[in-house]
Amino acid sequence: MKRYKVLASVLALGIVASGAASAFAQDSLPAASPIEKTLADRATHVTEVTLDKNMLAFAAKFMDKEKDGDKDDKAVKDMVQNLKGVYVRDYEFDKDNSYTAEELAALRKYIQGSDWSPMVHERTKGATEGTDVYVKLVDGQIQGLYVLDAEPKELALVLILGPLDMDKISSLGGNFGIPKDAIKSVKKAEKEAGK
Amino acid sequence: MRDNRWYALLIPVGLAIVMTPMILLAASGSGTGFDAVVHGIEGRYHAHANRIPFMMLISGIAGIATHGGVHGLHIAEIENLQGPVDGKELNDLVEQRVGKGWQRMIRETSRDSNDQTLIYVKPEGERMGLLVVDLSGHEMDVVQVSVDPNHIDDDMGQFRHPHGKRHDHADSDRDTQGD
Repeated sequence: MKRYKVLASVLALGIVASGAASAFAQDSLPAASPIEKTLADRATHVTEVTLDKNMLAFAAKFMDKEKDGDKDDKAVKDMVQNLKGVYVRDYEFDKDNSYTAEELAALRKYIQGSDWSPMVHERTKGATEGTDVYVKLVDGQIQGLYVLDAEPKELALVLILGPLDMDKISSLGGNFGIPKDAIKSVKKAEKEAGK
Repeated sequence: MRDNRWYALLIPVGLAIVMTPMILLAASGSGTGFDAVVHGIEGRYHAHANRIPFMMLISGIAGIATHGGVHGLHIAEIENLQGPVDGKELNDLVEQRVGKGWQRMIRETSRDSNDQTLIYVKPEGERMGLLVVDLSGHEMDVVQVSVDPNHIDDDMGQFRHPHGKRHDHADSDRDTQGD
């Protein structure tokens, strides 16, 4: 009987995992995972931002028109308009280590597929916190970015889908609910990789 | 003459048949949309929402003033909302009543301060419908508006700081260099 329960659990996990994988394969934003729900229950402050392609195109229209003359700003606006989705979850806790290493591992596993490659995996020995950056590469082009930034009292998860220009990515920090720190981690990782 | 009397009777009866379900639906708050959301909140938290008088007129003036940038303005304010508000419960309540086509864009919830923010959007062609439910302490505001980003941006542009762009860039440069 116990064996059947284990088999059923494995099957259920498999269905969930394949569902998540297919969601990313289709470039659509993921549904909230059960881990996100438990983290939200534990957190004192939760910010959830979900922007699909339509909403991003709408948001891009609000970007400063006066900047349209500037090539760089036009490029940022174009980049935002071409994005397929932005998914941000930010959890703030009142105590340190309010999340476990297993929960982080499960959130990391959310991004699994042939197109996604780990760019950064930063950890301090003995500490749960750290930063993970994954990029989705399709034909040598960055088509997605996933940042999991774990601080002692804060956990931020950022998923950006669509063609991205790494030079323009700084402008996304602080906009669309994307924490500046998450983007800083990406820039830092990029610098480290360039060394 | 006799036929005319029948017609005189038939018209109000017909109107009553057509209007009764609509009136009952509106009164029960079981429909969807702004009113349903407000009725749902009122019912769940035993609160009364204050509607702003002459809202249609205000909405019309806003439309003219913003050159069509804003219209369909609905505002309801609930003061002295008692008791803590569970973020998930409020989210579910709004989700069930907001209606078809609305998507949640932002949800911000704070357990300690009883602050909750929900922002829903609905594409309406060139326009975008926005529904905001904001609880701050014991005051809750529910606002619905339809905006045209092109017109809004034109109007907002005149209030922008001429050197705003330079500040933005300087900030982002500093942020990156600080790493």
